[in-house]
Amino acid sequence: MRFLKTHRFLPLLTALSLFFSNAHAQAETPRQIIAKAVLLEDKSDDQVALLKTLDASTEVASLLTLWKEGGIFLFEKPDQSKVAIILESEKDAADKQKALLLETGLPILDGEGKPLHLLASDLTAAETDSTLRETMKAVLDLSGLSSPDRKARLQAVETLAMEQDFSRIPLLQKGLQKETDPSVQHAFREAIALAQLKEDSSETKISACRILGTMGSIRSRDILQSLSKDSDGPVQRAALEALQKIALHLQKVNTFGTLFRGLSLGSVLLVAALGLAVTFGLMGVINMAHGEMIAVGAYTTYVVQCVFGAGLQVSPFGIALNLPGIKATGWFYDCYFILAIPLSFLTAAFAGILLERTVIRFLYRRPLESLLATWGVSLVVQQLFRLTFGANNVQVSSPSWLSGSWTLSDVSFGWNRVFVITFAAAIVIGVFQLLGRTPLGLLIRAVMQNRSMAACMGVRTQRVNMFTFGLGSGLAGLAGAFLSQIGNVGPSLGQSYIVDAFMTVVVGGVGSLFGTILSAVGIGMTDQVLQQVLGNPVLGKILVLAAIILFLQWKPAGLFVTRSRSLES
Amino acid sequence: MKILHTSARALLATASIAFTATAFGADTVKVGILHSLSGTMAISETSLRDVLLYTFDEINAKGGVAGKKIEPVVVDGASNWPLFAEKAKQLLEQDKCAVVFGCWTSVSRKSVLPVFEKNNGLLFYPVQYEGEEESKNVFYTAEAVNQQATPAVDYMLAKGKQKFYLLGSDYVYPQTTNLVLLEYLLSKGVPIENIGGGFKKDGSGKIISAGKYTPFGHTDYQQIVSEIKQFSAGGKACVINTLNGDTNVPFFKEYAAAGLTAESCPVVSFSISEDEFRALPAKQLVGQLGCWTYFQSIKSDANKKFVASFQDWLKTSKVDGVKKEGRVTCSPMVLSYDGVYLWKAAVEKAGSFEVDKVRAALQGGLSFEGPGGKVTSQKNMHMTKNVFIGETKADGQFKILKEYKDVVGEPWLKGTFKPKS
Repeated sequence: MRFLKTHRFLPLLTALSLFFSNAHAQAETPRQIIAKAVLLEDKSDDQVALLKTLDASTEVASLLTLWKEGGIFLFEKPDQSKVAIILESEKDAADKQKALLLETGLPILDGEGKPLHLLASDLTAAETDSTLRETMKAVLDLSGLSSPDRKARLQAVETLAMEQDFSRIPLLQKGLQKETDPSVQHAFREAIALAQLKEDSSETKISACRILGTMGSIRSRDILQSLSKDSDGPVQRAALEALQKIALHLQKVNTFGTLFRGLSLGSVLLVAALGLAVTFGLMGVINMAHGEMIAVGAYTTYVVQCVFGAGLQVSPFGIALNLPGIKATGWFYDCYFILAIPLSFLTAAFAGILLERTVIRFLYRRPLESLLATWGVSLVVQQLFRLTFGANNVQVSSPSWLSGSWTLSDVSFGWNRVFVITFAAAIVIGVFQLLGRTPLGLLIRAVMQNRSMAACMGVRTQRVNMFTFGLGSGLAGLAGAFLSQIGNVGPSLGQSYIVDAFMTVVVGGVGSLFGTILSAVGIGMTDQVLQQVLGNPVLGKILVLAAIILFLQWKPAGLFVTRSRSLES
Repeated sequence: MKILHTSARALLATASIAFTATAFGADTVKVGILHSLSGTMAISETSLRDVLLYTFDEINAKGGVAGKKIEPVVVDGASNWPLFAEKAKQLLEQDKCAVVFGCWTSVSRKSVLPVFEKNNGLLFYPVQYEGEEESKNVFYTAEAVNQQATPAVDYMLAKGKQKFYLLGSDYVYPQTTNLVLLEYLLSKGVPIENIGGGFKKDGSGKIISAGKYTPFGHTDYQQIVSEIKQFSAGGKACVINTLNGDTNVPFFKEYAAAGLTAESCPVVSFSISEDEFRALPAKQLVGQLGCWTYFQSIKSDANKKFVASFQDWLKTSKVDGVKKEGRVTCSPMVLSYDGVYLWKAAVEKAGSFEVDKVRAALQGGLSFEGPGGKVTSQKNMHMTKNVFIGETKADGQFKILKEYKDVVGEPWLKGTFKPKS
């Protein structure tokens, strides 16, 4: 009954409480809201609701990014209540960092009133899941429109474009006026046109269709398709026209994309085969252990990566080896690959020299036995990898500067692919310079053309053989360093490339480096073009292999036949 | 000829030694473990051998099955499918095992099936499979397609995804699963042009293969990733990935390099569990989704206990070749574990080790509280269990996003989903 009596005051009460809750909401800083959301842990729906109340600002953006990347931690206070904290970037002697309370940004004090220092690895990072990250992305995108970073702006515009919200058009137009970067301008125009498709007037729709068509906007294909189905008359015509233009653009994109992919696949083949072109092509050793030399390079890269990171414990034959890590982070860690490249060359070259000294030098005149012997060696080496690094594949992560891409009019050029093309070109130039311009190259060519004659002239053929085999193996090691960036690193890594490598060298013509280059690029291009045309990765490969068999029937010696006056042949 | 004679005699001798060695004691029961401990599948299957031995030790410590101690008979299928059939024959005819736990690949299961049917044996099969099979001699603790693939699609549909790109390794599981998924997606009103990867039709125009397939050991995913990039340019797209084993590495590396992310176009994988994750580049996979009936990150007490005692067992185990460091638990392992306990319950209910009686008990519906929650055996020799959608984290574990409770295992799905008209 008392409740009834108070009903007169109810409106007042409501107003009051509204006022207070409003005042409360205003008083809540973005930091407090985020801290609250972090503490909700597993209730992602509530977290999403909280994040949606945030206004975009640089502070919010930086905090959300921090959360996303695992930089916000949960800390249990002595009274067992949890608080959200962040760590200052500066580390003290014991690797500890000063803890700041997320809500206020002030340091946490311990019992004695001193700022608390904590070890990042002791704390649990606040988790996120995809729903939460999508909300974060929406918040970040709005703040991204005015970001100084080109990439952030581009992403923001692209996300807004897919929302097709025509109330955002003025906002987008204002952004377009301020924008100076051509690719972001392009994205702004696309976003405006997409939003205009949702307006009522058919004229606006038609002009938007025209704009999208001229742009060749792949993004809007689905939307235009449904528009062409749902509308009639001039709008439908405009949508169909735009679709046609986009299809044309897509064809161009695919053609250039295929050429680029063919070139990059060719470069991968070339990198893998170049070492074999030296050991098999020039020296005539049917080197079945070439694949394992590639694997030596890849494992070297892995070891270097571990040393830059947390270190490595291996125990071959029960001997415990412990390599301490230097725990590098950021750009310094990314540099591991630069060091890994020369190291993998040296390790593989050393392994190759060892193989040449212990096995191959006895078999120069018996090629078939060298095949069997190197095959045996390859099995032994594979087992050594298993014993040392385990039967499972090991993880090699790509440095960040190799895992992005560059998009030019919708054709994307992955950095790793651009890198392999330059890498292959550099190795080829290097090998040609070495063989053609240096005294060692002269000796190598002399010995390879006629071993006995060179020996008569006073060339120490034994030593030249050793260096040539070392060079070939070193090149295989370089291939391994690169292949670790695009594929698996495991004990059987070599097996997956040995066939391709032999194929490339044989098609190019044994003994001709130039032939190897041409055949690698040729095989890569054919493979990718067939894949694009047939839409089937298996069929393409089968056809390439069949074509190679036919080609070798026609020209058994390959593309380039090396003629020599040597009596041996 | 002489060599032949000697080797034949040697064979006979070994066989007779083996025969005398297998006379069995009265207070033990023989249980077979039929997994590949060498060859390509060894990486995955050895974990199952380990977890089975652990389970037997756990049961034996508590008094065994119906008062009898389990005596494991471990044989190596060596990733060689005909050999699987021979080893199965040995386990059933020579060792007279009461039950066999084993097989990973569908082809190994198909290879041993006639042996089990002829000898009326009982096989517990623990790995996700394509369905379209129901033998009275196999108990499928495995995930059927509707306990992994269709819940994952439901989840993606609920998240507003409208376009699905199907990608898999070229063998029976992905091919069959994708055909079922195609029917399922069409029945959910997804238009056929929104399903990517291409179709293969037979002469009469019937679709016999849906999606893009690559062989084992494929390394070049440039073309496929660029196709996915164009497919997903308009947003609301996702990839259903049934690629097997290490082909996932070049795929995900290329995927990340092309600028595709879990936010712009998520990938749901059916063959990457915690165990496979150990050999994959974590950075490139963070945020991508997985769907299994168990994750190590399940926060129940039963699971915490299971994980901890398995790790303890690993540390003290004296079994040859057990790797002790960096071990995890995953769905096929837990399904093996659940299988052993269901079999134990069935034997104890039937009061006999006879296959027919045990089967009848299993078909009557038995339940077990496993690490992944309650599992119940069904009449069709499958298992009702919980299904989880998880998201991969940098530490190789999954964060659980969604749980579907008590999903009934249904092997015959092809042709059951009718397109929405």
